[in-house]
Amino acid sequence: MNSQMLTIVLAVLLLVLVIDLVRREKLSFKYAFGWILICVSAIGAAVFKNILFRFAYWLGFELPSNFIFFASLAGITFLSLLLTIFLCQQNHRNDKIAQKLGLLEKKLDDLQGSFKE
Amino acid sequence: MAFNKLIIIPAFNESNNIHHTLTEIRRCADGFDLLVVDDGSSDDTRERAVEAGAEVISLPFNLGIGGAVQAGLMHAHRAGYEYAIRLDADGQHDPEDIHAILKSLQVDDADMVIGSRFIGKNREGYAPRWPRRLGIFYLSAIIFGLTGQRVLDTTSGFCGWNRKGIDLFAQMFPVDFPEPESLVIASRFGLSISEVPVVMRQRYSGKSSINFIRTFYYLFKVSLALFLMTLSRQEGDRHE
Repeated sequence: MNSQMLTIVLAVLLLVLVIDLVRREKLSFKYAFGWILICVSAIGAAVFKNILFRFAYWLGFELPSNFIFFASLAGITFLSLLLTIFLCQQNHRNDKIAQKLGLLEKKLDDLQGSFKE
Repeated sequence: MAFNKLIIIPAFNESNNIHHTLTEIRRCADGFDLLVVDDGSSDDTRERAVEAGAEVISLPFNLGIGGAVQAGLMHAHRAGYEYAIRLDADGQHDPEDIHAILKSLQVDDADMVIGSRFIGKNREGYAPRWPRRLGIFYLSAIIFGLTGQRVLDTTSGFCGWNRKGIDLFAQMFPVDFPEPESLVIASRFGLSISEVPVVMRQRYSGKSSINFIRTFYYLFKVSLALFLMTLSRQEGDRHE
């Protein structure tokens, strides 16, 4: 019962934090959405813990807590993969911007040169 | 800059349509500069647009419609255009309607004008199928609830801004769900919005990027985004 309350309180706190981050524009909706879903499902799982327990047994976990640890670990692994993908995308975009900027600078230099002539 | 009115056409891999769209706009809308924002296309959209006589801004990679339109509005802001009208590259917006939008900006003194499929008589135009129509009306109700602003066609990409609208959206343009979110922003910053009837046609080629199966998921996400948007800070402090 206490662990259930703790989960709910933490999930609600996280939810409020995420919404506040969006509000203060520290987090964009695209990235906040996943966090909101996680918070809501954590609250849902805590409230309807019987469903969670049954699901855990059905998957073959002897202790529901093991299932919870497993699920959170899997979730975090997935999330870090996702973050790596975003990081790669940002890297790629950075490179492209740098190249385009270099090309633009050259074009400007060329233009300036042709004006001086 | 030859005129004080700009047409902004965001285009992502539209090499099949862009030339046709631009010539058609040229034919019906005199007195406008044409700006194509090539949103990181991998085909020859840029070349075809230059060929057709438009000015082109090429983004180094795909930003999505919001980022592309904002780039166009930033140009409009810097160059000092009085009016800017956004039109799709795929030919589904009838350039004849540019006049109606411009007229509303000038005569009704609206800061933002939406080309709407749902008001007036839709002259033999293409009407969205009912799931999408329902979704659009649902968003309309949400936006009315959140802001008190009545707009019927909440996902229309055919719209125009005056100087005040250009200045606001050059600074902040929503990227997640540009069309409905920009309505919320507009009404929060006190822009007056008007709607004029326009015709939507079938696209020349290519498929629409909105998937019907995902409509509900989309609506859920948009509602949440719009709701969060009304919570965010009010001040217009984005003068970077």
